[in-house]
Amino acid sequence: MRRNTIVLIAVLFILAIFAWAGWANWEYRRQIAEKLLAGVGQGELVPAPGGDTMNYVSPLNGKPAPAFALQNLSGSKVSLASYKDKAVMINFWATWCGPCKVETPWIVELRNKYAAQGFEVLGVDTEGDDLQASDKAGWAKAEANAGKFVTDMKVPYPVLLDGDSISRDYGGLDDLPASFFVDRSGKVVAASVGLTSESDIEGNIKKALAN
Amino acid sequence: MRKTIRATAATAISLCVLAAHAQIVSPATQNRSIVKTDAVQYLFPEQVSVPAGKPSPVTLHFRVAQGLHINSHTPSDEFLIPTDFSIPDGMGVRLGAATYPPGTIISLAFDPKTKLSVYTGEFDIQARIVATPGNHLVQGKLHYQACDQNQCMPPKTINVPIDVIGK
Repeated sequence: MRRNTIVLIAVLFILAIFAWAGWANWEYRRQIAEKLLAGVGQGELVPAPGGDTMNYVSPLNGKPAPAFALQNLSGSKVSLASYKDKAVMINFWATWCGPCKVETPWIVELRNKYAAQGFEVLGVDTEGDDLQASDKAGWAKAEANAGKFVTDMKVPYPVLLDGDSISRDYGGLDDLPASFFVDRSGKVVAASVGLTSESDIEGNIKKALAN
Repeated sequence: MRKTIRATAATAISLCVLAAHAQIVSPATQNRSIVKTDAVQYLFPEQVSVPAGKPSPVTLHFRVAQGLHINSHTPSDEFLIPTDFSIPDGMGVRLGAATYPPGTIISLAFDPKTKLSVYTGEFDIQARIVATPGNHLVQGKLHYQACDQNQCMPPKTINVPIDVIGK
């Protein structure tokens, strides 16, 4: 009788350890998942006030735009901090992105229209998402493509390379084009993902200039 | 004694259920997926038998997710990324050639003037492979770049796993 009781207690003890290990494993994975989600900070689409369209709401809205310093097409480093006191549109794009090609002439036009009021665009090329760091030929081709695109489109604003290195700070950017509108104090006041319209872009530029 | 055994069995089952439940990620976490589903899925074949050392045709079937398109192997613009199938070296199977279907010509609402050559829905690639004798678990690669009506996803390479038996 006593021996049976000891065996039963031992079995229960082992099962309790299993249950605890299962719970600890689940808790660990939950915490990792939450950390990843917090790091990515992806935005979401919410219905626009009219109800017909969806607006992109970034978790960065109202927060300081994440700082960066990237190389431009001439090889110089350009930082977001150097545009302090200006309203800035950070436009993530790529040459393989059809909608980016459509919106670029609008952005060029709007940049020229509002430049005198203290507005600038930073085009951030995210060409090499799929490229390995060791793929020098791939990176060189990506850079050449970006240069040709900028020349073809007569882009007058700085175009920065290796946007992938900062895309995580801006919410992961699973889709392009993606734009963030930063006011003169460096805060994100609006964001958009996917092709919107020239008037939507202009509305966001006005928001950035107004603050 | 029987009662004790029953009670123990019930407790054991409860603890096992608890342990199993603990392995399941909570629904709240599941809904907030971290990784998006692939735009392209490899369908079949999972296994093929081919004569060793001879070029042999294998038809690979893929599906593009609803609402998306990927560029065909011969896209209409130099900047667009073509869909491309390859087999890395050292797998006991060599890709002799691949024949791609012609793309469907579409234009998108935001840019009706531009014609795009794309794959949508299901499409097949005819691969001619040469296998050495034996069993080879080949990890082929499909490189593509997908878009929907308003936005594009970064280029991606997915694995195409095929068990090739060279006889």
